[in-house]
Amino acid sequence: MGVQKHSNLASYALGNVLKYRTRSAALLIGLVFATTLLCSTEFIREGLMVDLTASLDEGPDIVVQKLVGGRQTSIPIDWKENVSSFSGVRLVTPRTWGYTDIGNGKLLTIMGVNATEYGSILDSIGTDIVGIGRFLEESDTRKMVVGQGIVDVMAAAGNPRYVGVGARLSLITYDGELIEFEVVGVFSSDSKIYSYDMVLTDINSAAAVLGYDNSTCTDLAIWAEHGSNVNAVALQIDNGIPQSRVLTRDAIRDIMMKTYGDRAGIVALLWSVILMSVVLLAFTASTAGSDEARREVGLLKALGFDTIDILEIRMFESVSISLLGASLGISLAIIYDFYMGAPGLAGYILGWSLVLLNGGIPLVISIPTIFTVYAVALVPILVATVVPAWRNAITEPDTVLRGV
Amino acid sequence: MTTVIRTEDVWKTYSLGSPRQVDAVKGASIEIPKGVITGIGGPSGSGKTTLLSLIGLLTKPSKGKVFIEDKELSALSEVFRTKFRRERIGFIFQAQYLIPQLTATENVAIPKLCTDTSRGEAERLAREKLSGLGLGHRLDFRVAELSGGEQQRVSIARSLMNSPEILIADEPSSSIEEALTKDLLATLREMVDRDELTVIVASHDPLVLGWCDRLYTMRDGEIVIQ
Repeated sequence: MGVQKHSNLASYALGNVLKYRTRSAALLIGLVFATTLLCSTEFIREGLMVDLTASLDEGPDIVVQKLVGGRQTSIPIDWKENVSSFSGVRLVTPRTWGYTDIGNGKLLTIMGVNATEYGSILDSIGTDIVGIGRFLEESDTRKMVVGQGIVDVMAAAGNPRYVGVGARLSLITYDGELIEFEVVGVFSSDSKIYSYDMVLTDINSAAAVLGYDNSTCTDLAIWAEHGSNVNAVALQIDNGIPQSRVLTRDAIRDIMMKTYGDRAGIVALLWSVILMSVVLLAFTASTAGSDEARREVGLLKALGFDTIDILEIRMFESVSISLLGASLGISLAIIYDFYMGAPGLAGYILGWSLVLLNGGIPLVISIPTIFTVYAVALVPILVATVVPAWRNAITEPDTVLRGV
Repeated sequence: MTTVIRTEDVWKTYSLGSPRQVDAVKGASIEIPKGVITGIGGPSGSGKTTLLSLIGLLTKPSKGKVFIEDKELSALSEVFRTKFRRERIGFIFQAQYLIPQLTATENVAIPKLCTDTSRGEAERLAREKLSGLGLGHRLDFRVAELSGGEQQRVSIARSLMNSPEILIADEPSSSIEEALTKDLLATLREMVDRDELTVIVASHDPLVLGWCDRLYTMRDGEIVIQ
């Protein structure tokens, strides 16, 4: 038999999908929901992994924090001299960072750095990733480089405002005062998660906004000598300053991957439960429809359809619903993630503190993800329906005459 | 007259769960000649429909043999029996079994969908058969929108799609009025006379049985009158 027969059977199966529209719609809705959830999570998780890698590559080799009572607290800036004395340390620079708002309820990350020291690090954040304007200079006070998110949020405000080089923005300080800053540059970075909502300024201005004393900072960013063993340098610092918490780039990556991976894992678990429900529904629907379906199979077989033809029809039905469900799910996930900013889900996976602005959510669509989604939508449904389909297909054709 | 179908001591036993069994047909031996209407009469539950299933190769006998043109086909595998049905046997069912969501044309075209005939060609043939039965004005109506008599004619048109040599009709008058039954019988008679079609009709309707050229009567699974 040639292609024409298979085309006829596929056409008949599509007709059946429309004919049993309640069953088809129930399966489709379940599949679309499960696929949208999976895809939305995967797009964010993948984006996060890419973003974290880019962010960490741009950041320091080691970060030193101070712990008091097991909690992070501010560091005396004079720790810098002590840390600089360890062998293998190329550069130590203090950073003061925290969260502030610009009066519209949106929190932004503000980071204060020593412009000269920070700018001297090749590829470090803020040096070669300023798309418009310039990086901070040593003499800059109340100047800032802003992420694209600040530009976006101001443009989308009720009273829209263009933020570019030369614009002036006021930040609300820890004690409710306003401090005016001048924008000197706008980030253009692959690492959205850090730079999108970031305001980078000089360390004293940041301290003034966040309420830090000028003799303290949030942490120390350390770059190791080229060729030195970063872990060995970190161990020296850890041993030399017992009250410090020393985090290497790898340790930070591990912590972040685990945090985000676990959250994505919980969503994946939820997705699995939903998909299982859909699979059970598919199985039940195939079985529950058996009386009507059995009579139809009896008719078809009496009219000359083989068992294999019936099985092919049932498989076409499952495949068409699965493919349609997966495609709609992927499309909805794209709309939900890329156009709506994944409200709810992004906050859960990224952590609320990081989701300051919707556009800052890192998103990546990859071919393997799409392939996986189609596979997980198709295979379980096919497996779930193959047994009822087979039972259905081996119906004796005389049932149509006997009316059983 | 040439014998087209012959059964030799066929039995059909249905299991109702061990140890209960029902002998629906008990040792039926009949001969059906070519180009005539053969009736199988008898009360409900006498085994008429089961005998039609055996003759139409829809099921295998528990014992005995079914010959069509002197070839024993009852012993063949399902694949061959299906192929034979597809190519040479047409069915008119008691409950018609039309698919209500499909149009008359789509219903009639179904038997051709499991062949290499294109859907377009199948629907063209279906329209031709329907028009031949006076349903040219109902081609694109859903069968649920048709009257009982029209539905019966759609069912006949579907049974003729494979240009069968043997037509099997189970209680064809059960869901239609007397006038429509007469129309149906006239149509069958015309096809028998024109195409030398062999028709086997199971019915307990005296009107239908009165039109048959030959008649078998069944009771409790056995042929009691020939």
